[in-house]
Amino acid sequence: MLEALFGNNTVEKILFTLLVYGEGYALGMAKTFKAPVNRIQQQLKRLENGGIVSSRLIGKVRIYTFNPRYPFLKELQAFLIKAYEFIPERDKETYYRKRTRPRRAGKPL
Amino acid sequence: MKVDWEHIDIRELAAIVSEKLSENGIDAVLVGGACVSIYTKNKYLSSDLDFVTHAAIKEVAAAMSDLGFERKNSRHFIRKDCHFFIEFIAPPAAIGDEPIKNLNKLKTKFGKIILLTPTDTVKDRLAAYYHWNDPQALGQAIMVARGQKVNISEIKRWSAKEGHKEKCKAFLNRANFV
Repeated sequence: MLEALFGNNTVEKILFTLLVYGEGYALGMAKTFKAPVNRIQQQLKRLENGGIVSSRLIGKVRIYTFNPRYPFLKELQAFLIKAYEFIPERDKETYYRKRTRPRRAGKPL
Repeated sequence: MKVDWEHIDIRELAAIVSEKLSENGIDAVLVGGACVSIYTKNKYLSSDLDFVTHAAIKEVAAAMSDLGFERKNSRHFIRKDCHFFIEFIAPPAAIGDEPIKNLNKLKTKFGKIILLTPTDTVKDRLAAYYHWNDPQALGQAIMVARGQKVNISEIKRWSAKEGHKEKCKAFLNRANFV
């Protein structure tokens, strides 16, 4: 949907993921979108170099969030919120409504 | 002038890099921890120098290679015999969602450095404390505020705009401004 603006649709998916869930990691996004993990990592790196996202290491996983110090963050998020309304309901269900509440360790699914 | 890269100090390195960039028509502003080092006379010693520039990274790389710095990855530069590394951060130069309006100029025997003012350096460090609860950044903000003339009312205004009045109070208390 925003491919023309961002240059590719991976960036769009990453940004919507961060908008909806607040954070994300490369492997998780790769599984969700059935995309190669290196493609996701490459775009996350590009966004981080641009100051749009920031990351921290938790254990062995690098967690990405929007960079709260990005000067156009409010405007970018407002734009993404608007754009999110136009995502087909089926895509929202598949990609952006995953369970985020905790699940006790060892609990059978 | 011969440069002792192994023992160079951060202020000298900032000046040499700034001059080289300027010779190549590149404007760059020193931001981040290196400003803290300069304003605290190395009481806090940063290991990297962060510059913000609108120039293309290829142009920057050409200028940096004249100084013997090679591009390590994307925006980082290193020189084997120099213990500092240099990063060129994507523009714009901003603190929170506000562009940086005033810059400081320092003259050294190695050349001129364009850098954040002490007040903006405090705000820059406080931004890391506000958003990431980084205690080191708070400590650095306090060091600069105690050692330099800073505009406290501007820091209060900006902090309120960022939504961090309470954390600003904690900073002012610890820096003995209350």
